[in-house]
Amino acid sequence: MTAVADRPTTTPAPRGRPVAPGRVLVRGSAAHRGLQVAGLLLVVALLVWASTWPLFRMGQLTNVFVLAIAIAGLNLVTGYTGLLSIGHSAFFGLGAYTTGVLVVQYGFDAMLTVPVAIGFCFVAGLLVGLPSLRIHGLYLALVTLAVGVAFPELVRRFDDLTGGAAGLVIRARLLTPPEWTGISRAQRGIWLFWVSAIALVLVLLLVRNLTRSRAGLAMRAVRDHELAAAAQGVHVARVKILTFGLSAAITGLAGALFAMYVGALAPDGSFTLLKSIELVTGLVLGGAATLLGPVVGAVAVVFLPYLTSLVAPGPVSGIAFGVLLIALVFLMPEGVVGRAQIALRRVVTVVDADHPALARTARDPGGPPEPDGQQPGPPPSTDEDQPR
Amino acid sequence: MPGADAHDPLLEVRGVAVRFGGVTALRDLSFDVRPGEICGLIGPNGAGKTTLFNCITRIYEPAEGSIRFAGRDLLAVPAHRIAGLGIARTFQNLALFGSMTVLDNVLTGAAAQPGTGIVPGLLAWPGATRRTAALRARAWELVEQLELLDVALLPAAGLPFGTRKRVELARALMAEPSLLLLDEPAGGLTHAEVDELGGLLVALRDRFGFAALLVEHHMGLVMGISDRVVAMDFGRRIAAGSPDEVRRDPAVVAAYLGRAA
Ligand SMILES: Nc1ncnc2c1ncn2[C@@H]1O[C@H](COP(=O)(O)OP(=O)(O)OP(=O)(O)O)[C@@H](O)[C@H]1O
Ligand SMILES: [Mg+2]
Repeated sequence: MTAVADRPTTTPAPRGRPVAPGRVLVRGSAAHRGLQVAGLLLVVALLVWASTWPLFRMGQLTNVFVLAIAIAGLNLVTGYTGLLSIGHSAFFGLGAYTTGVLVVQYGFDAMLTVPVAIGFCFVAGLLVGLPSLRIHGLYLALVTLAVGVAFPELVRRFDDLTGGAAGLVIRARLLTPPEWTGISRAQRGIWLFWVSAIALVLVLLLVRNLTRSRAGLAMRAVRDHELAAAAQGVHVARVKILTFGLSAAITGLAGALFAMYVGALAPDGSFTLLKSIELVTGLVLGGAATLLGPVVGAVAVVFLPYLTSLVAPGPVSGIAFGVLLIALVFLMPEGVVGRAQIALRRVVTVVDADHPALARTARDPGGPPEPDGQQPGPPPSTDEDQPR
Repeated sequence: MPGADAHDPLLEVRGVAVRFGGVTALRDLSFDVRPGEICGLIGPNGAGKTTLFNCITRIYEPAEGSIRFAGRDLLAVPAHRIAGLGIARTFQNLALFGSMTVLDNVLTGAAAQPGTGIVPGLLAWPGATRRTAALRARAWELVEQLELLDVALLPAAGLPFGTRKRVELARALMAEPSLLLLDEPAGGLTHAEVDELGGLLVALRDRFGFAALLVEHHMGLVMGISDRVVAMDFGRRIAAGSPDEVRRDPAVVAAYLGRAA
């Protein structure tokens, strides 16, 4: 396999050569589409079922969705592009306060504030991304950390707008669901549940498109080898800055939804560095640079503390949570979804239809390529997404 | 010989000097590469060959001199625009995207082609998707041609050294370069692999018509396939001409006898 070819023209591979170890699922084929539709239906069914739960449970799920959106934003910049940000609590907070301030001080309709929050956070993200052109690795992380530290201070500073340390309360009256939904004010949890669920699905679709596009390829190239990326013609500066902006915009969307979810904002509440750490933890646990990692990560950071407090009550619970985190990261450095993808790929590999071996088999009535598992080599990439 | 009838040089290096603190890596270096030719660039370790590549690809900034490519002043072009002009390179110590598959590595070689916008990517615009499909088809062709099909869907990081070198070559070819900069493509290859590499490079050149600047310590390879050879020592050009002329040049003989064992 290491021999260098000296044939200038295309050499047809031996017929029936395996495309990958294990079974092969062709992307876009009937079977693949079928699985995707089945997965989507399952998600819808689960959501409909969950919407019959008590409001308290639905609230917990809403919290998970919001957090998953925030982590999905972080994933773009930290997971795919490799720029560690410990400042995403600031974008989460900026999104939340944009919604809070516009609703409380300026009488905006809550839903209309969402695009504004996204826009503000996009611009803020571009600015915070600027240093990434000059500084790398942990130094960049320090700069983002400073942004995360500064945000609550800024909120306290502009207290006539934000309510300062006393906090900002969005009264339930201002968060009434639109009339056409027929949902009463008391039941607004149901409305938010659906809004965040749909927002999460949309965000995941966009992220999936992006990471499969050539823009996504450029992001990963920047992460893996900046110099080589530039030599291929990747505009490294543009990729970094725009990714930062987009990432911040998505996390800001989560913040805006969060403001509606909690209805009361305080600088020391959910917008400190602890939030940033929660987002990074969720990303690592769920699986950086995977599509569904942020969802699994959000579930983990919301529910694992509950679990450990059941097992180990009182202050011991925090220790148990810490130990569990360390153990998980040791056992699955690729995160839950990353690990699952590796395991899944032993069984089935999703291959694009443009694979030459497939194209040849299609022309040649020799049947589909036979799995034979003789392929040596390292575990497959952790970077490609599996069908949902 | 291809390029024999082309009069204007493709690459013009004129009086280039590079200093790192007290070390002078290049001094008053001048030479040309003509369209379609394979130009060997030899010299003992530390002669400044890689430094020259880094100047052409705008990683290092020369203190003096000019570099022109197809009549354009390269020193006024930012690093990420170099590939788009038609200059592709491989790296002496390999610079692959380790976590990405071989196919994606090759596809990234076309990063200078339009269609990498974030918004079209987010929304999966049909225009962008079509362009990606066309580029993927070309990437698959190169993958097959360099016998990488078996490993196309594996991450580049874990592959054997010789395989990774071919991935880099495929990635460079993906840019459809008119000038290919090869930094020790035979380094670390077995004897048989080196012979095959020579044939492959000539065949690829004949097929795609690029000019190549070939940095190589493997004398058999450089002298065997180069149309012309430039020899350097201590950052200076010490000889230039046909492989035979350069091989016999007293300065070249002295440079190699004087240092490398
Ligand atoms: N970034 C740098 N900083 C300081 N010195 C450098 C740098 N890059 C190269 N040099 C020095 O410049 C000189 C030329 O190095 P270069 O790598 O260009 O040599 P080379 O001809 O490619 O050698 P080799 O055949 O070993 O690859 C060497 O003395 C090297 O130490
Ligand atoms: Mg070198």
